[in-house]
Amino acid sequence: MRSNGGFYLAVAAIALVLVLGIHNLAFSQRPVKVNVLMQALEAAQWQSIVEEFEEQNPDIDLHIVEGPNASNLVEDLYTSSFLLGDSPYDLVYMDIVWTPKFAAAGWLTDLSDRISDEELSEFIDGDVNGGRYNDKLYRIPFRSDAGMLYYRTDLLEAEGFEPPETVEDLNRISQALMENDRVEWGYVWQGKQYEGLSAMFVEILEGFGGFWIDPETQDVGLDAPEAIAAVDFLTNTLENGISPPGVTTYQEEEARRFFQNGKVAFMRNWPYVWTLANADDSPVAGKIAIKPMIHQAGHGSGACQGGWGLGMVNTTQHPEEAWRVIEFITSRASQKQFVLETGYVPSRRSLFTDPDIVAKYAHYPQLLEVQEKSVLRPPIAQYAQASDILQRYLSSALTDRLSPEEAMRKAAEETRRLLGR
Amino acid sequence: MSGSNIRDRQRLTGWVLVTPALLILLLVYAYPIGRAFWLSLFTQNLGTELEAVFSGLSNYARIWGDGAFWNSIVNTTIFTVVALVLELVFGMAIALVLDRSFRGRGTVRTIAIIPWALPTAIMALAWTWIFNDRYGVLNDILMRLGLIDTGINWLGNPTLAMVSVIVADVWKTTSFVSILLLAGLQSIPQDLYEAHAIEGATPWQSFRQITLPLLMPQILIASLFRFAQSFGVFDLIQVMTGGGPAGATEMVSLYIYSTVRRYLDFGYGAALVVVTFLILIAVVAFTFYLLEKVRKSAGVDI
Amino acid sequence: MTLTQSSKKTSGFSWKVLILPVSVFLVVAFSLGPILWQFLTSVKTNEAIVAIPNVYFPSFDQLTLNHYIELFARRPFLRYIFNSAFVAFTSTLLCLGFGAPAAYALARLKIPGRQLILTGVLIVTLFPYILLFLGLLELVKALNLGNNYLALIVPYTAINLPLTILVMRSFFQQLPKDLEDSAKVDGYGTVGMLLKIVLPMTLPALVTTGILTFIFSWNEFIFALTFITVEEMKTLPVAAAQLGGASIFEIPYGTIAAATVLGTVPLVVLVLFFQRKIVQGLTAGAVKG
Repeated sequence: MRSNGGFYLAVAAIALVLVLGIHNLAFSQRPVKVNVLMQALEAAQWQSIVEEFEEQNPDIDLHIVEGPNASNLVEDLYTSSFLLGDSPYDLVYMDIVWTPKFAAAGWLTDLSDRISDEELSEFIDGDVNGGRYNDKLYRIPFRSDAGMLYYRTDLLEAEGFEPPETVEDLNRISQALMENDRVEWGYVWQGKQYEGLSAMFVEILEGFGGFWIDPETQDVGLDAPEAIAAVDFLTNTLENGISPPGVTTYQEEEARRFFQNGKVAFMRNWPYVWTLANADDSPVAGKIAIKPMIHQAGHGSGACQGGWGLGMVNTTQHPEEAWRVIEFITSRASQKQFVLETGYVPSRRSLFTDPDIVAKYAHYPQLLEVQEKSVLRPPIAQYAQASDILQRYLSSALTDRLSPEEAMRKAAEETRRLLGR
Repeated sequence: MSGSNIRDRQRLTGWVLVTPALLILLLVYAYPIGRAFWLSLFTQNLGTELEAVFSGLSNYARIWGDGAFWNSIVNTTIFTVVALVLELVFGMAIALVLDRSFRGRGTVRTIAIIPWALPTAIMALAWTWIFNDRYGVLNDILMRLGLIDTGINWLGNPTLAMVSVIVADVWKTTSFVSILLLAGLQSIPQDLYEAHAIEGATPWQSFRQITLPLLMPQILIASLFRFAQSFGVFDLIQVMTGGGPAGATEMVSLYIYSTVRRYLDFGYGAALVVVTFLILIAVVAFTFYLLEKVRKSAGVDI
Repeated sequence: MTLTQSSKKTSGFSWKVLILPVSVFLVVAFSLGPILWQFLTSVKTNEAIVAIPNVYFPSFDQLTLNHYIELFARRPFLRYIFNSAFVAFTSTLLCLGFGAPAAYALARLKIPGRQLILTGVLIVTLFPYILLFLGLLELVKALNLGNNYLALIVPYTAINLPLTILVMRSFFQQLPKDLEDSAKVDGYGTVGMLLKIVLPMTLPALVTTGILTFIFSWNEFIFALTFITVEEMKTLPVAAAQLGGASIFEIPYGTIAAATVLGTVPLVVLVLFFQRKIVQGLTAGAVKG
């Protein structure tokens, strides 16, 4: 028995030595290392501002970790590193909808005291509000995003129409254009079951005066008449043949290609489309314009607020250095440089009318008009679950498996159960 | 030296030998499952800022009305049943072929094991590539055969995505089934067939009347293992479709995983683990019962 | 099934002659097809990979090793291989170290509750890992083992223990008992007898079990995906599954194919060398239990 115990001890000891020996590769470098993870694609685009930062701050090594290109995979990577309690990251580069989740989980540092209201007022309201959770600020906006209506100026002029304001306008103009064989289809949007469906629906919901979840009271409005009317509008575009049946499988790119090939008069999409649809090889180049989303008469437009910003991990060893990175990256100068290089949308108001930027992107003043109408997806901690529920039932309504009433009733019920109401 | 003394020493030695293994098993199997039972009585999610708040059976009430969960149960059942049946049929066919004598049989038997031994996650990548809508070899073959004109988006269509993951799973695990069945085939005495043939039975009759009944224990055991593994399938789906498109290939395991990892809904995730565990135990108990019956009747028969 | 042939009277050429060779060919094609395709993809240039219609056998100027080079240049791929090998090897040793003695005790020594233990061991072989991952996640977090090889080694040891115990037990049962009795007469204690007499004889069985354990550990995905987030510590299957391109538009098919080839080669080699033992082990573990 003695030798037996010895055997186990030896095995355990060897294993332990190997494990510890390999695990603890000491890391002590002179400049303080600040780590942040982002999609590989965007990491490449950050290159020049990172170099700029390191030049001005030789004591900080801003290290960008390349992640997968799907943003949900990046979210997963952040989540698991926080869950394990040993996060290798100091900053989180986050999509606006991650904020409440990461904040509620207690993984982020409150930044309210580090930035004044005056400084914050220079950013677009929706971007700032999307960074708040329970009245604390966890995310400083870097680049913004919002949904809007793209339309074909040439077609509208030819038939003598004004750009549509209301859903009735959109239906009427679409019908007319299709009857006169100007286009094959009237309106294209994102109807696949994925996060983009929720983003698109938030805008329609706002345009019909409805709401999804009230973050203050946790009330659910999905089975209210306004919400059902909003779903009715979407299903009607399919039934009336204004939208191609394929939209129930479309994401942004499918919609863009459809619009860019001149097959449709109106499209709901994000700002990135502008550059591509106006490229030299685009059949609709120079024939398009943007405006805030359509809405029901008597209500206002909504633009789903998207965008990315920086938050600070609450276990970081270097909060001061991390904050200096945030300040630099979100500053006016960096944003301007980044926008000019990449064509992304800034989060600071003044940049939309900046002469250099307008010289390059003439539509940015209009874009600001859209951004100011932004609505948030519900900033609640359990947003991901709520969104998945909505996507599932919206999709069943769009594909005719459930009636709009039935789908929204079930979605509302499940959401209430989720929120414990 | 008295007899009871020897027995005591033997018993002590036995325990010393068994205990370390048992402790590890308890730590990795019993603790997580026991913990899931306990945690399922609490709400611990982002709504409670990850604090555990006792909430009785409310998680189970939520499961009842959770469309995504039932969707995943339906998907998992379809996946498991179809894959299992195909694996048994192909596994049996391969085992019968490998049981014949031909030149190079050893090599072919070795090759037939390879799919089983490879990492599922990695082979899932290979299958994703085979099913690729633009450059995939499957579409290419179908087009060369003139069966289709344009590439099929296998993983983008809900029904076809399910077909695709089933095909990949059948490829991966049929060899396991055929290994077990081949071992069973080899243990059937050859003279049984000879006697049967003298009585004028056709090979098909021999297969029905000798092979199948005698192979029943192996078939049931293979089914049991395959059922349990299919029911918990994770790697393959996670890599190939991630549960999409539109939840068409979302399996119970993926739903549990995202409930915990993405939603951070720990209490509810625990309740899902408990329900899945109970379903599994029920099916396993039923199969054991069948196995017992088959073993008895086979013993009487021959 | 093709067993319905009945009479041997049919004269001339019989299609039945072809049935066996064709079936053998189908089995081989079915088993190797996907791997071969992956291998061919991994040595083709990007142009050949995305050529329509597909290039099956690349011509000389369509061959390249760039995908392999890129794997090692852009990613710590050697590190992934080392991680997988280290974790699998260590857990295999631990598993044999803990499992074999337990199997011996369950085969030979009379301990109360033996039947209960055996049934329990048999049932847990059927548990999918997803049932364990939530509890293990909490354990890993509580013990601060995230991004530590132990977070994989301990679970891998455990998930392979049931199979080890079942296989080793059936081997011990086949050992002649006289041997141990005579060893006792010669004055060996139980432990001494185990180490000096029984252990050498069970070496083949240990190898059999060890190979299975190694394969299962090498292939494990869900724990490796959850408990390791640092790039340098990832195992091969997880790293391969997370390979992404430099842009959204470029999915690195060739590199992924190269990664799958590298991830599967060790296992193909194992199978080639130990086919018999793998079959032995699997059938002993599944059937004898």
